[in-house]
Parts: sequence; C-alpha cells; structure tokens
Amino acid sequence: MAPVGPRTGDAIFSNVERVNAELFTLTYGAIVRQLLTDLEEVEEVNKQLDQMGYNIGIRLIDEFLAKSNVSRCIDFKETAETIAKVGFKMFLGVTASVTNWDADGTCCSIVLEDNPLVDFVELPDTCQGLYYCNILSGVIRGALEMVSMKTEVTWVRDMLRGDDAFELQVKLLKQVPEEYPYKDDE
Amino acid sequence: MPEKMIVCVAVVGHQNNPLYIQSFTEADDALKLHHIVHCSLDVVDERVNNPKKSGSPLNETFLGLLYPTENYKVYGYLTNTKVKFIVVTTDLDVRDADVRNFFRRFHAAYVDAVSNPFHVPGKKITSRTFAERVSTIVKSFGLSSAG
Amino acid sequence: MGREVSESCVDSLLTEMVSSYCDRFYANKPELAARRIEAIGFQVGHQLSERYTMERPRFSDHLEAIKFICKDFWSELFKKQIDNLKTNHRGTFVLQDNRFRWLARMSVDPSSEGGDLSQDNSAGAPENKAAQATSMHLYFPCGIIRGALSNLGIPCAVSADISNLPACSFVVRIKA
Repeated sequence: MAPVGPRTGDAIFSNVERVNAELFTLTYGAIVRQLLTDLEEVEEVNKQLDQMGYNIGIRLIDEFLAKSNVSRCIDFKETAETIAKVGFKMFLGVTASVTNWDADGTCCSIVLEDNPLVDFVELPDTCQGLYYCNILSGVIRGALEMVSMKTEVTWVRDMLRGDDAFELQVKLLKQVPEEYPYKDDE
Repeated sequence: MPEKMIVCVAVVGHQNNPLYIQSFTEADDALKLHHIVHCSLDVVDERVNNPKKSGSPLNETFLGLLYPTENYKVYGYLTNTKVKFIVVTTDLDVRDADVRNFFRRFHAAYVDAVSNPFHVPGKKITSRTFAERVSTIVKSFGLSSAG
Repeated sequence: MGREVSESCVDSLLTEMVSSYCDRFYANKPELAARRIEAIGFQVGHQLSERYTMERPRFSDHLEAIKFICKDFWSELFKKQIDNLKTNHRGTFVLQDNRFRWLARMSVDPSSEGGDLSQDNSAGAPENKAAQATSMHLYFPCGIIRGALSNLGIPCAVSADISNLPACSFVVRIKA
C-alpha cells in the first residue's frame, strides 16, 4: 500500500529554508517586464513563461517528493489535492483548493485566492492578453509530467483581470505507465 | 467644510518632476494648490541643503512645516531616494504627530505603487490602487486624534 | 512578520531566468544575455532599496549608503551581512561575502540536468562552460546592487570577482 502523504504543507513549509517573498515577487515581476521588452509579443511572453515554469516543474518535483513523502503512485485525484494543499504551501506559503471535478475525475480546477506572485502588480492596458502567472501552469504541467501524467493546464480566472480568484484548470490527457527516466540509454 | 482637512497631496521626483498630484477640494482651486506645491519645492531644497539653518533634525525624512500661508499649512517629506512628498492642509492647528503619521502611510502606499513591475521609474504614477489608497489616507487624516 | 516563500522558489526562478536568457533567447550573444539579466537585477534592486529604506533617516554620504547595502539590505536578502568592506577612498568599494548564498546553492545544481545536451562537441571545455554560467548568474546580484545604489542617488558600475570561491566580491565603482 502506498504511504499516504501529509494532508497539508504547513509543517514542511515551516521547516524549509525560507526567504523574504518580496525578493521573489519583484524578481518575477522584473523578469516578466523584461520578457515583454525583449519578446515584444504578449503571446510569446505567455509561451515563454509557461516554458520556464515547465523547466522549473520538472526539477522541483524531486524536492517535492522528497520533502513531502508523497508516493509517486497515487491517482490523479489525490495528486491534484496534494499539489493544492501541500505543493503550493511548501513552495509559495499559500494554500490552494481543488474544485470543479468532472464526472470521470480527469479534470479539475485549482483555485488560489492568495498569490505572492502578484503582490503590487497592476497590468497596464497594453498587456491585457498577458497571463501574468503563466509560470505556475508550466510548473504544474512539468511536475506532473515527471510523475507520468500528461496534462493540459489553462487559466480560467485571473485576479489581475478582475476575477475574484486565480483558477487553473488541470486536465489529465493521459497517464503513462511509470518508466525509467533515461529512455535513450542503451 | 470640515475644519481638519488635506486639500492637496503631491509626489515629486528628484528632478522636481511631478509624479502624482491630487487635490481634494470641491472648489475650483486646483491651479492655486499646484502653485503652492510648486513653491514649496524650493523650500524643501533649501531645507535639505542647509539643514542647520532651518533647525530641522539632520536627515530626517519628515521635514516639518515648510511654510504657512494665510489659509494653508504646507508640510514636506523627503525619502532616501530623493522623492518629495508635499501635503497642503487647511487645518491651521494641525498636530505634528498627525502629519508624521500621514506621511508614514503615504510613503508605504508610494513604495507599493513603485513596486509594480510595470511602473517606470520617474514616470507619473497612474495606479488606481495607489489613488484609492491615498484617498483613504487623506480622508482619515487627523481622525485618530479627534478630541 | 512579512510574507515568505521557500528559498527553492527563488533559486529555481533565478536558475531558469539565467538559462532562458543564455541558452534560448540570446544563445549566441552572451553579452546581450548578460545585459538583460543585469537589467532584471537593476529593477529589483531599485524597488528593494525603495522598500528597505522606508523607515530610516536619509543617508548623509556615499559611505553610509554603502554600509546600508552591506548590513540591512544584505540581511534582508541573505540573512547575513557582507563580511568585509574595503575602499580606496576614491570611489571604489569592495563588498566581500565569504560564502555567497546564490553561488553556494548553485554549485549543487548539476548543469547537465534537464537533458539538454545539444552541444555535441562545442569548443568550450566543460569547466569553461561552468565558469561562464557562474558569471552569468552574477549579473543579477550586480544589477541589484547597482539598482539599489542608483536609486539612492549613487550612479555606479558593479562587477563581481569570484577568484576566491565560495567567497564573492562585488566591486562598486562610483561614477564621479
């Protein structure tokens, strides 16, 4: 039987090395602003933020598994709950919730009411198409891919666009059987 | 009109470029208030360049009363990043503590506004959140000390 | 009191920002990548200096501002102060951190991870690559220092010296 992971990330968060969130928030903001200058197209910035998140996600998953003692072999439903309750808390210090499950349990929403990425942020009118927090969707997609779940992650609500919360829809596309990460070896 | 009130606040950059100016009167005296703010900038420079002469404590951000006019009192504040805050009140017996408290909250609002990644340093502050916060701070001015 | 996030958030973000700029956006233009990374740091330093000087008297001279960077500012970022400050009294200051956190944490991160081994037999030796990656990471803190000082009214140039790892020295040259 797979060991059951922690139900919240509070204890883990209080034990990890933590830093001033302002540094993180302002650095992320400066990166987004610089990307807008360098890449010009808002669409391209959305894409690159997602890509950066994906790259972070595939690396962060190891730390997540190690510190949370979550088994790799849990189903999508538990996985989503664990991301929301443990993952967000452990890294960002905030808790998310999971709602809007579809009938076959392959699609849900992760809802975030408090998000340190957007402290101080106000989108200018010229950036209305920007998914400012797109790095988060990339992180989730990347991390899940490393535990063999191919997903599609899209924004449903965005507080920077006037919604009352951040909502990410996570859709399980396919769950591939566990395999060794180095497929090209020999 | 209430007795104690702030009629104008301004944020001015280090090259005396206006970053934010807002008056809070129904009367059509915006121009006059802007002129008062403008004149006060020289007093700030004078204060900062000759701290001894003006008797203000060395390097404190709060510069105190810049000058009284017949109907107004004008106070100044200078941040470490050389940004000036000016406030014009109609309250002629305003307490120093109230003004200090006002500037402290105003400064915090300013710092958050310029922490927006899309704010360009030296450009006007267009943030709606900032405008709302300032208006709240202005409305609550002096209330704590009532009575 | 203030909000906190895990340190790995910051580490991951910085690592990814540097590799995005160096390996993807400006893969063959390291000097452009460096300039962008420095610019990101500059904005952060500019904003942080505004925040961290909020409740304090104005600095009366350059030395006071530099000391503020060494003590309060550095402590906010790294939970420790700069270990050694030197100056030639002619506008150059050397701020040495004996164990610069962002380098210490980075060396743990093997650069071959991520499977992006597209450089089959490029001329650069691995050590060279590693050294270049390290120096790319340093443009960010250099930018932070320059941004902070420039917002305090001190225009300057900032470079980093890592000839003495894991110590890192930031050289601040104030522009006359």
